[in-house]
Amino acid sequence: MSGSDNTNAKSYVLVQIGDRRFAMSAATVSELAPPVRLHQFPQTSPLVAGVIVRRGRIVPVYDVSRILAGKNSPAHRFYLVASREFGSFSEASAIPVDGECELVTAPIQPSDASSPKYISGRLAIGEENIEVLDLNALVTSAPAEPNELGYAEPRG
Amino acid sequence: MKIAAQEPAKSRRIRRSEAVILFTVANQLFAIAADSVQEIRSTDSLGAALEIEQQEIPKVRHTIERNHRTYFVVNACAHFGLRVVRPTLVLILRQIRVAVLVDKIERMTEIAAIHALPRAFIGAECQWYRGLAYVEDQVIPVVSPTGFLTANDFQRLDGAMAEAASHQSLEGAIQI
Repeated sequence: MSGSDNTNAKSYVLVQIGDRRFAMSAATVSELAPPVRLHQFPQTSPLVAGVIVRRGRIVPVYDVSRILAGKNSPAHRFYLVASREFGSFSEASAIPVDGECELVTAPIQPSDASSPKYISGRLAIGEENIEVLDLNALVTSAPAEPNELGYAEPRG
Repeated sequence: MKIAAQEPAKSRRIRRSEAVILFTVANQLFAIAADSVQEIRSTDSLGAALEIEQQEIPKVRHTIERNHRTYFVVNACAHFGLRVVRPTLVLILRQIRVAVLVDKIERMTEIAAIHALPRAFIGAECQWYRGLAYVEDQVIPVVSPTGFLTANDFQRLDGAMAEAASHQSLEGAIQI
């Protein structure tokens, strides 16, 4: 854990995606799930790779590594389960991550003006600047394209 | 590592237990309510299928007549965007004029509940599926019988058939 005297400090979960580390607000994160089975079926939603089953619930998996690391996520990775807001409704959502996560407490700094909308700020952890992800903005930023199984866009 | 103990609302379940037919299309497993299927036939027994000339809805190439009704034959591979394989069976649906070409019937089973599609899904699958079901540790989409063709599709296909019929009668008149 990293400490800070700043009263604006909040807790974040640091995740490894591809070669980079990102942070997500710990308040939205529910668990780090083991590499459970990814269930896939025909669908056309951008970024959605399939679903996993956690605690009796069906949890959609967003393959955000295509946006953040520029490639599809390899198989057998861990899943970070966080809540995504749909108005007043909250849905458990998973993103594949590499390896273990770390919980830190740090003040958030504003993001660069040139940062994508899904970066809500950055954390200074040691000498590292870690971008804080806004899950909702991240999963809605994907351009429409065939998903992992190669299913085409909606047909008429 | 369990970081927080947040427990979001349980998956939205739609119905109580239901008999379904499990079938495969291009090695993908699907379920359909048993009571929405009127008949299952081999494609070999569909010698009387008529080709329908239209380009707008490529997943429909043929029609079949059953009990004085015309059913539009939907290729499930094309419908779901899957690799096209040679289908061996046709599911003739009840209530709607749709017959669906599939590869194989796995079995009939009872599912305890249908879980609504997560809101993450925003594409055509929202029309294709009634929801998702667990069958022996597998999550399987439960197809919606009304998701194969829209009202607009029926209109266009009926129009194409009417046009073809009028051409035929015109050709017949010219030959006379």
